[in-house]
Amino acid sequence: MSIGEAPGRGYASLQKVRVVTETAPVHSPKRPPPLPGRVPSGPAGPYRAYKPRPFTRAERDKVTILFGGLHWRAERLIQASMENLGYSTRVLPTASRADLLTGRELADIGQCCPTSFTTGNLANFLREETKRIGAEQVADNYVYLTAGSCGACRFGQYHQSYELALRNVGLESFRMFLLGQNGLDQGAAQGGGLELNLPFTLGAVWAVVLGDIIQDIEYQIRPFEKNPGETERVTREAVDYVYEVFRKRPRRGEKWVALAWHALTRYFVDAMREVRVRYDAIEVDRLRVKPVVKITGEFYLQTVEGDPNHNIHRWLESEGAEVYPAAVTVWLDYLMRLEGQNFEERFGIDRSARLKYAGIRAVQALLRWTYNRMRHALADLPREMPDQFELRALAAPYYNARLNGGEGDMLVGKALWAYHHKKAHMTCELSPYSCMPNTMSVGAMAGVLGKHPDLLYAPLEIKGDAEVHALSRCQMILTEAKKRAQREYENVLERIGMTEERVHAAVAARPELVRATHRVPRYGVAGTAANLALHVAGGRPS
Amino acid sequence: MLNLWSTHQFWIGFFDALGIEARRIEFSSDTSEDQARTHAKGRGTVDCCYPVKCVSGHYGELLARSKRKIDILFSPMIYSLPSFLNGHAIDSLSCPRVMAAPENIKAGFIKERDAFAEAGVRYVAPLVSLGDRPVVPKQLYAGLMEAIPGITAEETKRAVDAGYRALETYNARLRAKGREILEWCAREARPCMLVLARPYHMDPGIGHEIEVDLQAYGYPVLWSQYLPIDDDLLQWMFGPDIAAGHIRSPFDIHDVWPSSYSANTNEILWGAKYAARMPWIACVVRMSSYECGMDQPTYSPVQAIVERSGTLFFSFQDLDSTKPAGSVKIRVETIAHYLQKHSAAIIQRKQAASPADCPLGESVAHRSATSG
Repeated sequence: MSIGEAPGRGYASLQKVRVVTETAPVHSPKRPPPLPGRVPSGPAGPYRAYKPRPFTRAERDKVTILFGGLHWRAERLIQASMENLGYSTRVLPTASRADLLTGRELADIGQCCPTSFTTGNLANFLREETKRIGAEQVADNYVYLTAGSCGACRFGQYHQSYELALRNVGLESFRMFLLGQNGLDQGAAQGGGLELNLPFTLGAVWAVVLGDIIQDIEYQIRPFEKNPGETERVTREAVDYVYEVFRKRPRRGEKWVALAWHALTRYFVDAMREVRVRYDAIEVDRLRVKPVVKITGEFYLQTVEGDPNHNIHRWLESEGAEVYPAAVTVWLDYLMRLEGQNFEERFGIDRSARLKYAGIRAVQALLRWTYNRMRHALADLPREMPDQFELRALAAPYYNARLNGGEGDMLVGKALWAYHHKKAHMTCELSPYSCMPNTMSVGAMAGVLGKHPDLLYAPLEIKGDAEVHALSRCQMILTEAKKRAQREYENVLERIGMTEERVHAAVAARPELVRATHRVPRYGVAGTAANLALHVAGGRPS
Repeated sequence: MLNLWSTHQFWIGFFDALGIEARRIEFSSDTSEDQARTHAKGRGTVDCCYPVKCVSGHYGELLARSKRKIDILFSPMIYSLPSFLNGHAIDSLSCPRVMAAPENIKAGFIKERDAFAEAGVRYVAPLVSLGDRPVVPKQLYAGLMEAIPGITAEETKRAVDAGYRALETYNARLRAKGREILEWCAREARPCMLVLARPYHMDPGIGHEIEVDLQAYGYPVLWSQYLPIDDDLLQWMFGPDIAAGHIRSPFDIHDVWPSSYSANTNEILWGAKYAARMPWIACVVRMSSYECGMDQPTYSPVQAIVERSGTLFFSFQDLDSTKPAGSVKIRVETIAHYLQKHSAAIIQRKQAASPADCPLGESVAHRSATSG
């Protein structure tokens, strides 16, 4: 018996199928069939982990830094802030389904889906570049910068997947560097080509803050825009404009002076005022009744907008929802809270703990202050950041604040915060398939739902390739959220004694109410239309 | 269950020092499908790895006990672990699922009604960083002050010290036993095998006693958590790597695993390095459970470390509730066959690649062969 190629003419997929064509021994009689398993041939050189060769300062002009994994506005502004410091950068394209398959193929089995997406994303990009300029040029011309972690989950071990993928695509000499999430000024790293100093960190953080603010108003305006596509266009223009603002950021000192300048300058505030002017021109109809859906979950999946989370933001909008996106800034605030908790635990044990804790709280306060300054420049339309300590207190009965990884107790706290403060009708939580820490927080939500059965919560396990399941699950909860938004609106009309037509007429009579940047105060209800109805009826804000 | 497999001696020593002697401590049974079927029904909250899922069965069993009824269900959230690699690795954290399991599993017992209160049991789950000794007394005092009325901070501190002493004594005894085994192997020129797994794989319901089946073939079995770490031995094994600048100490693993945050993962990587350098460890058996995210990134490096040393490597992955007895039997026979056929050559080749003067002593046959 022997095995050969199948004929399969006309069917390309069949041409490589091996079929039995004749009877003959598979193995030569002189050579016994191999046993399963591997017989070691003898000691080889010991295994050593990947260690990138240094990225030197002299190479900075000719090497392009690759990065990605956030929402596109933050990525583009980070790119500008790095270019401002003299780096050449390139944002990787948003990961796609093809990247997922590549990631699964190249790295160890059983990895979580963000690892598969990001690993495949890098590998596919490098493969294409290799075809274009060759492996040697790719290794010389690019380095990859990605976030590391101090946690025990796989987020801290992504390098292993990248390393394996690089080996498997023959790019062992490609350079990849981890950027610690908890370091502000990490000094010159790996040969001095990349200086992770305060101007670098401040630029990145301010870029994230401004990117988040733009994202938030974009999501508050688009569902209500009268001319479809206008918000999209203005957002692109606004990001392009702020991109130039970051590219031209003045250099003011290296350490404390740089910090003081970023904290106090009107440079970014003025930029956001200009952004407001651009959004001002959009006309909206905020009386469209829509459920507000808050996005929470694992960092990558809640942040990215694309295949990795089934384009959930756009899908929800297309299904009639107003999306409340997850700001990266809230994540930064959370990381600082975690760091502060470490010091809090050492009160009475370590003399410097209180001082360090105070330092962290000061930085947290600065972040919040900056975020609020930028919100204010946009008429306070962007939503406020939740208070981390309130989130902690809300989650405490269900999930210990010290359990980190994933969103930790913040996942529980945010769902309860949105519920108690009527920030949203529904929470859509995105967990990657086999995400270790997030599954724990999601499990703890069973206790929350036992106590608050009317909390609408859609935990979606995202595998990357089971879109129909994930979206249909979300749709079931969304249907109830739509009903609630409608009921809430009708109850408000009844409360204020106005018909829908009268409310529409009242809004039409006040031109400022159709301007996209007009902030409607909150009156203790979740829906935008319900709040606007209460507003025109002269209600008292909550 | 879970981290108690490597810390139970701490807890026995700790509670004993607080006046709760060992006979008053009830452990849940070994994990089993029957336990889950009987006691975990309706308690699940989310799909996760098999060892964590099993905790519902352990809780349910303890609550359902009619004989030797418990008053307190103590299920510590062990944030970090005491590890012999502490100080050499970046951190010593527990698996994020394992540390959070008590909160997750608790949710399944309170989501409809408070099953703890109904059983008259107080649920106590303090967060404790056993890998960070200075904070442990504070954490446990805060976590136990309501459950054990009258407990003081001072006696908690003394109890914590007693707990660590008990754990260290126990670990030292098992390591001495490990050295005895290796010395015997060296003297008799016999192979042994090393299990690279998490401590909870010692639970017959999680690890399915695969190593017991292997031991039945007459091969001594060592667990990576209890390998001998005497200085003479480690200097002999890792001295050349230190001299070449690859590592700073025998416990340094940054040459193979730069992100050394997780205690159990670090120990598995270190165990693989140990096996690669120990001539009489002729075979490594790797075990990991269904959906273990901590093990997943380590599959390739661990295998590469072991195999590049010329040591046999076999793995049992995705272990779940059912013991696949037939396939385990076939694989165990395969492993035994390979050991029988190749172990002598493996030992010889690894000895030839090792420094001279092994502190374990060497067989007469080997000494005469190398001197002649």
